[in-house]
Amino acid sequence: MAIPVHVPRVNNNDDTVRVVELLCSEGQFVKSGQILGSVETDKAVVDVAADCDGHVLKVLQQPGATARVGSVLFWLGHAPDEMVPADLLPTASLADAFHKGRPTAKAQQMLEALGVDAAQVPATGERLTVADVEVWRAAGGQRIAMSVAAMPQAPETMPEVPGEAQDLNTEARGMLMTVKWHRDHAAHAYLEMEYDPKPWDDYAAAWARTHKMMLSPLMPLLAYRLVEVAVTMPRINATIVNDRLFQYHPVNLGFTVQAGATLYLTVLRDAQQMDAGRFIESMGTLQRNAMAHKLGANETSGATLAFSSMARWKVSRHIPILAPFTSLMVAHAAPRDTGRAVLGASYDHRLLSGFDVTQVLQTLIKPPA
Amino acid sequence: MKLDRDEIKHAIRAKIIELAHALDMDASNITDTDIIPATGYVDSTAILELVVWFEKTYDFPLTQEEINIDNLGSIEVMAEFLLRRKGMIDDSRH
Repeated sequence: MAIPVHVPRVNNNDDTVRVVELLCSEGQFVKSGQILGSVETDKAVVDVAADCDGHVLKVLQQPGATARVGSVLFWLGHAPDEMVPADLLPTASLADAFHKGRPTAKAQQMLEALGVDAAQVPATGERLTVADVEVWRAAGGQRIAMSVAAMPQAPETMPEVPGEAQDLNTEARGMLMTVKWHRDHAAHAYLEMEYDPKPWDDYAAAWARTHKMMLSPLMPLLAYRLVEVAVTMPRINATIVNDRLFQYHPVNLGFTVQAGATLYLTVLRDAQQMDAGRFIESMGTLQRNAMAHKLGANETSGATLAFSSMARWKVSRHIPILAPFTSLMVAHAAPRDTGRAVLGASYDHRLLSGFDVTQVLQTLIKPPA
Repeated sequence: MKLDRDEIKHAIRAKIIELAHALDMDASNITDTDIIPATGYVDSTAILELVVWFEKTYDFPLTQEEINIDNLGSIEVMAEFLLRRKGMIDDSRH
């Protein structure tokens, strides 16, 4: 029986990926774990490996093609002449089906103002956007009394100054997607709290001495504390979808890593199941993978809560953009020569209040007793 | 790949100076036996960059457990650890 190898999902908000290269051909025998090709996502280039030994029966995409997440990329078989299922069309995942054609929040707002059902307006992409509604409206001559300033201008007109349009690289596209989610969905708010860093510094130094660590465990320990808070306060590990609370089961901690010019939001999954030692070790591995630009799909997607630090750059304030489908990102900063540190938090005010976030920060500024 | 202890140490020192420079620090006085995290020249992220560079430059994958002071604490110790693990200890130097 033929075995499918699917296109992996990397980011919550990327329903398609680009095929970068194929490292196998039809008829070839491949071993389990062998890299068959790679796909490019908004955040990284991700390898696609064989789950088992077998012959490559069918290759369904070519380099440069856009492939839907969850669709079949390769068919493998135990024998070289095995039949491939007739239905080779990409199979949409449940998430794809969920999002397909649905309006963005801004588009939904516009549709409601127009009194128009979303089904009347064709979507040009994965989601029905304001641009789609504008185009439909222009074609139909329909007018609404609505603040233009409240809506993104679409389609964008080209600047008058001479220049050339260039494709964004994967990281820049990822940032664009994140910002769009932030703009279209979250009700962003921010607050911060100064604190005396000495108790935490002492706690981390003691931990480092005990475990003979090369790297200060301060940031991982702070991040781990956030995970512990999420277990006792599940609302910070949730989001809003279609005006309903979506409570995550695992705590998948997003943690920013600047690797050269590339900013990654690495993701440590099921962090709530780890003790502090394992958490620090796992985060160290993740950071090294990011530094080497060798992150797997599971390591760059699915964040449910996030932590970021710009303390090494001595910034006074750091207001992060929320990662898609998260409601809280804690930001650590350490202003130069002040002897003080700052914990800030970007949060989605649809779900969390300033009081909620204050409770989180007040817990975080003190190390465990 | 021929590994020479002095060349390894020179390369590690150059990398530390480069990483410190990015943080506005001058690490040119670092000695072979200084404990790298204690010098204050480089922070945790820079040390991580040093480790990743070390692995890649010498084709020397490390486990997370191996990233500790005993194995990588100073320039001297890093070179020693690399040579020992590669089976290239130059006994005449000791």
